[in-house]
Amino acid sequence: MIKFRGVNKWFGALHVLKDITLNVEPREVVVVCGPSGSGKSTLIRCINGLETIKNGDLVVDGQRLGDRATNMTELRTEVGFVFQSFNLYPHKTALENVILAPIHVRKIPKAEAEIAGREMLAKVGLADKFNSYPAELSGGQQQRVAIARCLCMRPKIMLFDEPTSALDPEMISEVLDVMVGVAEEGMTMMVVTHEMGFARKVARRVVFMDAGAIVETGPPEEFFSNPKTDRSRAFLSKILRH
Amino acid sequence: MLENFSFRTITEYLPLFGYGFAATLWLSIVSFAGALAVGITLCAMNLQRSQALKVPAKIYIDVIRATPLLAQLYFLYFGLPRLGVVLPELFIGILALSLNSGAYVAEIIRAGILSISRGQVEAGIASGMTYFQRMRLVVLPQAFRVTIPPLLGQAIVLVKDSALLSLISVSELTRAGQLLASDRFMPAEGFITTAACYLALYYGLKTLAASSERWLRLRPTGNLK
Ligand SMILES: Nc1ncnc2c1ncn2[C@@H]1O[C@H](COP(=O)(O)OP(=O)(O)OP(=O)(O)O)[C@@H](O)[C@H]1O
Ligand SMILES: [Mg+2]
Repeated sequence: MIKFRGVNKWFGALHVLKDITLNVEPREVVVVCGPSGSGKSTLIRCINGLETIKNGDLVVDGQRLGDRATNMTELRTEVGFVFQSFNLYPHKTALENVILAPIHVRKIPKAEAEIAGREMLAKVGLADKFNSYPAELSGGQQQRVAIARCLCMRPKIMLFDEPTSALDPEMISEVLDVMVGVAEEGMTMMVVTHEMGFARKVARRVVFMDAGAIVETGPPEEFFSNPKTDRSRAFLSKILRH
Repeated sequence: MLENFSFRTITEYLPLFGYGFAATLWLSIVSFAGALAVGITLCAMNLQRSQALKVPAKIYIDVIRATPLLAQLYFLYFGLPRLGVVLPELFIGILALSLNSGAYVAEIIRAGILSISRGQVEAGIASGMTYFQRMRLVVLPQAFRVTIPPLLGQAIVLVKDSALLSLISVSELTRAGQLLASDRFMPAEGFITTAACYLALYYGLKTLAASSERWLRLRPTGNLK
C-alpha cells in the first residue's frame, strides 16, 4: 500500500531521510518511533506530499509520487492525515469540519454528507457536540473530531503524527481508543507515537528511526522487550523512565 | 474671544456643510470600495509565486507608500490632462483615494492571510482541497475576521485624506470650511464646523469598529491548544 525504496530527502544541507526502504501492506498498522528530530514527521508527511522527496521511489496506493500521471489532490483524498495540533477549522462547527471536504472534494450532496458526518462524530463519542466550535472542545475532543474528519473521506490509508502528544494525560486514552477502533476495522495506518500500549495492542510492526534512517524494525513485543541496537536501547530507556 | 465667534453665520452655512458632509461620506464610501478592489487585486498578485505578478504589485505598493497622497493627487490632476486624459475632478479625487488606500488595504489583507497558521493550510491540502478551495473555504473566512478592525482603521484614514480633494476644488467638507473662511473671513467658524463634521464621521466608524469586534468575539475563532 505504501512503498518506500531508497528514499532520500534534504532540508538544505540537512539529510533528513536517509535511504529509507519500507513496505506497508494493506490493513497493516505500523508505529514509527524515535528521538526528536529523527525525521518521523517528515517520513509520513512525504506520503501525502506535504513534503517532497529528493530521490528514490515512493509508491502510495499504486501511484508513484512525483510522476506526471499522479494526481496529488486525488491521491490525498485516499490518505487521511491527523496532526499533532489537530488543525481543526476554528470558524466551523464540529459537524461543518467533518463534512467540508466530503462536500467540496468528494462532491457528496450536503444532506448525505451531514448524515454520514453525524454518524462518524457519534462513533468517536461526540454525538452531543455537533454544533460546538473547536474552541469550545477539549483537546481530546478536538483530536477525535479531527479523526472523524479524516474518516468521513473514507480513506484507504490513515497517517497520524503524534496524535496524543499535545494532550493532557487524562485525554490520551479517549483518542487512543478511537484509533484502536479504526485499526481493528482494517485501516492501513502509519502512526508516529511513543504510546507503547497502543503499539502493543494494534501494531504489527514498530519502526525505529534515528538521525533520518530506519535503524530497527520488528514486532512490538520483540522491539520493546528486546531491542537489538544500542540506539534503540538508549531511546527506550529514556521513554520508559517516565 | 467667544464674543467674536458667530454661530449665526454657521447656521447660515449649515446647508453647505450638510452638502459637504454628504459628499465626503459618499465619496469616501465609493473610494473605499475602490480601495478594496485595488487592494484585493494587489494582494492576490503579491501572494503568487510568479514574479511577473508579484514584482509589479510590490513596486506599486512601495511607490504609493513612499510618496505623499498630495503628490499622487496632483499627478493625476495636472499630469493626466498633459497625457491627453481629461477626467472630472470628482472622478480624479475618487481615483486617487482608491489607488492610494488600495496599497494599504493590500498590505492589511496580506497580513490577515499570512496570520492564518500553516497548519490550517496543511489540513486543507491533506484533505485533497485545491488551492482555490483552501483559499475560499479555509483561509479567507478566517483572514476576513482579523482584517476587519484594521480595515476600519484604514477607512478612518481615508475619510481624513479625502480633505485633500478640496485642493482640486471638489465640494466636500473641507471645501465648505474654506468657503466660509474666505467668503466671510471667518476661518475659526469654518474650520471648527468642518472639524466637528469629521468628528461625527469618526465616531460613526468607531462605533462600527466596536460592534464588529463584538460580533467577532461572539464567534469562536482560535484553536484552544
Ligand atoms: N521545513 C523544514 N525546514 C528545515 N528543516 C526542517 C523542516 N522540517 C523539519 N526540519 C528538520 O528536519 C529534521 C527532522 O524533522 P522531523 O520533524 O521529521 O522530526 P521528528 O522525528 O518528527 O521530530 P519530533 O519528534 O520533534 O516531532 C529536524 O532536524 C528538523 O529540525
Ligand atoms: Mg514530528
